[in-house]
Amino acid sequence: MAEKKMRQIAIYGKGGIGKSTTTQNTVAGLASLGKKVMIIGCDPKADSTRLILHAKAQETVMDKVRELGTVEDLELEDVLKWGYGDVKCVESGGPEPGVGCAGRGVITAINFLEEEGAYTPDLDFVFYDVLGDVVCGGFAMPIRENKAQEIYIVVSGEMMAMYAANNICKGIVKYAASGSVRLAGLICNSRNTDREADLITALASKLGTQMIHFVPRDNQVQRAELRRMTVIEYSPEHKQANEYRELARKIAENEMFVVPTPLEMEELEDLLMEFGIMEVDDEENIGKAENA
Amino acid sequence: MTENAVKKVYRTTPEEVDKVRKWILTEDYKEKNFAREALVVNPAHACQPLGAEMVAHGFKDTLPFVHGSQGCASYFRSTFNRHFREPAPTVADAMTEDGAVFGGQNNLFEGLENAYTLYKPKMMAVFTTCMPEVIGDDLTAFIRNAKSAGHVPEDFPLPYANTPSFNGTHINGYDSMLKSILEYLTEGKKKDGAPKESLNLIPGFDGNTANYREYKRILEAFGIPYTLMADISDSFDSVCDGTYRLYPGGTPLEDAADSINAKATISLQKYSTIQTMRMVKDTFAGSAEVMPMPIGIKNTDAFLMKLSELFGKPIPEELKAERGRAVDAMTDGHQYVHGKKFAVYGDPDYLLGLVSFMLEMGMIPWHVLCSRSNRKFEKEMKALLETSEFGTGCNVWINRDLWHLHSLLATDPVDGIIGDTHGKYLARDHKIPLFRVGFPIIDRINLHRTPLIGYNGAVNLLSMIANKFLDIVDDTSDDQWFEMMR
Amino acid sequence: MSKTIEGITTERSEKLITETLNEMPEKAQKKRRPHVGANEPEAETCAVKSNRKTIPGVMSARGCAYAGAKGVVWGPIRDMVHVSHGPIGCGFYSWGTRRNLVQGVPGVTSFAMDFTSDFQERDIVYGGDKKLEKLIGEADQLFPLNHGISVLSECPVGLIGDDINAVTKKMEQELGKLVVPCNCEGFRGVSQSLGHHISNDSIRDFVIGKREFEEPSSPYDVALIGDYNIGGDVWAAKPILEEMGLNVKATWTGDGAIEEIAATHQVKLNLIHCYRSMNYMCKVMEEKWGIPWVEYNFFGPTKIAESIRKIAALFDESIQEKAEAVIAKYTPGAQAVIDRYRPRLEGKTAMLFVGGLRPRHTVGAYEDLGIQITGTGYEFAHQDDYDRTSAEMAKGTLIYDDVSEFEFERYVEELKPDLVGSGIKEKYVFQKAGIPFRQMHSWDYSGPYHGYTGFEIFARDIDMAINSPTWKLVKSPF
Repeated sequence: MAEKKMRQIAIYGKGGIGKSTTTQNTVAGLASLGKKVMIIGCDPKADSTRLILHAKAQETVMDKVRELGTVEDLELEDVLKWGYGDVKCVESGGPEPGVGCAGRGVITAINFLEEEGAYTPDLDFVFYDVLGDVVCGGFAMPIRENKAQEIYIVVSGEMMAMYAANNICKGIVKYAASGSVRLAGLICNSRNTDREADLITALASKLGTQMIHFVPRDNQVQRAELRRMTVIEYSPEHKQANEYRELARKIAENEMFVVPTPLEMEELEDLLMEFGIMEVDDEENIGKAENA
Repeated sequence: MTENAVKKVYRTTPEEVDKVRKWILTEDYKEKNFAREALVVNPAHACQPLGAEMVAHGFKDTLPFVHGSQGCASYFRSTFNRHFREPAPTVADAMTEDGAVFGGQNNLFEGLENAYTLYKPKMMAVFTTCMPEVIGDDLTAFIRNAKSAGHVPEDFPLPYANTPSFNGTHINGYDSMLKSILEYLTEGKKKDGAPKESLNLIPGFDGNTANYREYKRILEAFGIPYTLMADISDSFDSVCDGTYRLYPGGTPLEDAADSINAKATISLQKYSTIQTMRMVKDTFAGSAEVMPMPIGIKNTDAFLMKLSELFGKPIPEELKAERGRAVDAMTDGHQYVHGKKFAVYGDPDYLLGLVSFMLEMGMIPWHVLCSRSNRKFEKEMKALLETSEFGTGCNVWINRDLWHLHSLLATDPVDGIIGDTHGKYLARDHKIPLFRVGFPIIDRINLHRTPLIGYNGAVNLLSMIANKFLDIVDDTSDDQWFEMMR
Repeated sequence: MSKTIEGITTERSEKLITETLNEMPEKAQKKRRPHVGANEPEAETCAVKSNRKTIPGVMSARGCAYAGAKGVVWGPIRDMVHVSHGPIGCGFYSWGTRRNLVQGVPGVTSFAMDFTSDFQERDIVYGGDKKLEKLIGEADQLFPLNHGISVLSECPVGLIGDDINAVTKKMEQELGKLVVPCNCEGFRGVSQSLGHHISNDSIRDFVIGKREFEEPSSPYDVALIGDYNIGGDVWAAKPILEEMGLNVKATWTGDGAIEEIAATHQVKLNLIHCYRSMNYMCKVMEEKWGIPWVEYNFFGPTKIAESIRKIAALFDESIQEKAEAVIAKYTPGAQAVIDRYRPRLEGKTAMLFVGGLRPRHTVGAYEDLGIQITGTGYEFAHQDDYDRTSAEMAKGTLIYDDVSEFEFERYVEELKPDLVGSGIKEKYVFQKAGIPFRQMHSWDYSGPYHGYTGFEIFARDIDMAINSPTWKLVKSPF
């Protein structure tokens, strides 16, 4: 039997873009295809696994470490839970905004999981759902050597989401230089903006990658979330469930891994203007108030 | 006005001093002392990078390299200087405020290049202070980049370990660094065919250089070819002959690289080699054995029998005789220590060894304290105590410090204290002798030159303890009780 | 007319420096060159540059800001609980390793112990402020006779953005005692020196002026600043000042009491020994309260007598008379020490590399014994220290700032001194090479070295180091 290779995937994207929802629905899609998956939530908010576990909030590694006082006394079963489709779920956890060092929480959690053998060889995929921006070294932990080698960026046709995607690409270039981490594609989580699919396809092509899938906006996602479920589990026959299964299939079959080519600010603004996201104004009006 | 009124200089009154002096010895104080949740007072453990540095010194021509703050390196070095009274050459890449913000890659680059040129090591062992750990420096990438940018040659060995000070103690740093060095050196060195007739011996974190020499002597008596890792005996007990040598000792790197092919690897300290032995078990050709530190007769017996079993060699006559002499010393001397109660503190593996010896001597390890450990150790220590009537009722204190012990010695006293120099205030306050064992010992000379492991070590431990009690009898007895023989 | 030493010339020193630095990578050479030079006693300002970042990878002896704060300024204050706030190591390594002796009952009225918050992963991730607040309460409960608590932050505290100042402010109000924050994270600055400065600033902002002396003031009230009581130095220095008729109201910070330190703004004159670590507060007291300050040197009878007269000159005749009486009383004893040891040490040379004041202040004491200093330097000095050093040293002698072990070995190899006076990290390097050595930070577990009583011990120790018969055994006959 050929040795199966575990694929580790990190999902990045601007805060509020729908990373956790997309990740969990995609993971559920993979699970429904018979894949073994683990999700590691790398966000102090700890909302990366609730749809899989049907739980309000999973007990996080850092919560438990805080309670026990030391990582040494922590057991894997304290923090590793099984959810829909036998998906393994872990949340790193961390502080409230404004105190402590959330990035270190990610490092602590991943070190612990490695140490305690959470990365079992039967896994096909490990997904890291990472906090909005790579603000410090800790949030880059999932894309270090021997960890995630594929990155998907969740994006929409909104200006700030694309700025963020471009910034994340800059980060990937840095890590790609010394390791094997690669950009694997943009996932468009639609906000129903104008010509969104074309825009993201254009952005992807400028970044040297692909828009791997366009996930249309559908209220079924919210209905499922009210029951703390993924669409895949809540309504497997719904068309939105098909979208996520399609995304899952594309990820499973994806072979396009690139070192991205981030855009200069001007280039990005040109693109946004071309698609009418950013209005063209005269240089002389810059900095002038509306009624000035 | 009252709020801003400047207070007069306050000086404590003799009555207050007297009152508190008595109070700190009471049950009431002990209760409050043990209710502490946040404050640690007088701990008996150091931080991870110190252990990592000790490992690095144990390899030949290896320069320890601290990635992080300069001051940390100075603290580690001076701790070794004071304990061994030996040099401890180590460099740091001296990260400062800008490093904290932008990461330490540039410091690492420049540091590696300078150290490589100036101190001509054959290997540099890189480990971290808490600063790069908090900001999340990526050593894997940094080191690869340093090589590809030409700061050190591509093939120059640069094993590295993450050793955050806010996790575990010096023994965990020892473990991480040792694992990293062995993993690095042995990569791709595994040969086909049967493992070779050789033993890898890992003593663990031990500041007693004579113990290392004793291990070598035992293996030589058996005639077992060996690689001792990490061997600090010549690094930290080097000759004074008019020439300063930067790298006076250590395990040869070729031997360490070939250790992957040895028939067996024995670790004599379980808790300081957890990761290392897991790696050995997974990747080395031979078997991986973890045994208790051979302090006392039983543990030494077990060690020798394991050697005999693994290599099919009889226990050498000279070691048999040594055992006989040690047991002779112990039967002769038991009366001076039998039933005496002790408080003992230190690292988990040292404690397990010492307690085993004490139980076989009829000494009572009444308070066993480890100021940073875990439930696994606590369970193992309790199980060991249960094997002997002399362990009945004894107390195991984990994650308690020497100020907790201060209260214990006041309310539930003992006859002797065994531990490193930091216990000397306890000894003085409670008028109990301190037997200096462990790390660091910075107020007596040459104790690291007396072995405590093996049969000879048992004799040395017993002599140190019994003779001190006899000194006390002589020093404190009234004239009519003072006599020639004891 | 500046001093000279036979065989020591500017040319020789320059050649040695060039040859040594040539072995370094080019970038390191460039950075090191300004930090080493041959002494020019007549020059207005010393050409050797200082207080710059240590070059990565060169094996420096320097410590960090925390070391300067804990080890130097705060640690010697006997009646405070000094909390090493952060991971375990810093407090552990600095526990009892500086020899700043204190009076008092350990654990009852004096606290030369290791108090730490022993940070774990969870404290880094969630922040340590709440733990600190609880910790201060616990410390005050268990050590009720403390007169204050200092919180010395270690690297992670600054990195994760904890606000220790808010915690100490709250706890000071709660406890009614001085609770002082000191943001001395080890990554700040380039050496111990910034830790001194930050600590001085903490004293300025949170301590000085918060207390007043009960007893009425006198014109002879002084404070002894920058003596850390290494091996009992304060106890050898203070009696001299008292015999001169001065009231030593506070000692900063050797065997110091925080309540007295807080009232020091009431003294009439500050006497400063270690200029480097305490000049900041002397200047603050001068600016804010008009208190003049004067530097002095209590190493060796020559400098002691000079200093006594310099201090006395700032007072009235009664003090000046007593000052002369003190000198007259102790000079014969000091001369007896010189008569005993100088013949055994005459013509010897020594090289120094130490911390705050000793690379210049001890030169006179060596010279009293007939020993000449052929090279000196500081771990963490600034330009003003080097300017004060030039005049003490002979022309052409080596001056090295933050010298690396690599350079120091080469310099010693070439100049072949009979003694090296430096720190614990250097001690065994030179002793292995057969060169007599004394630790000049800790007095090598001896002392005191200050004052007249200290001089006798100093002379005995230097003689013992240089003339120990053990050095004759280093070379084996086979």
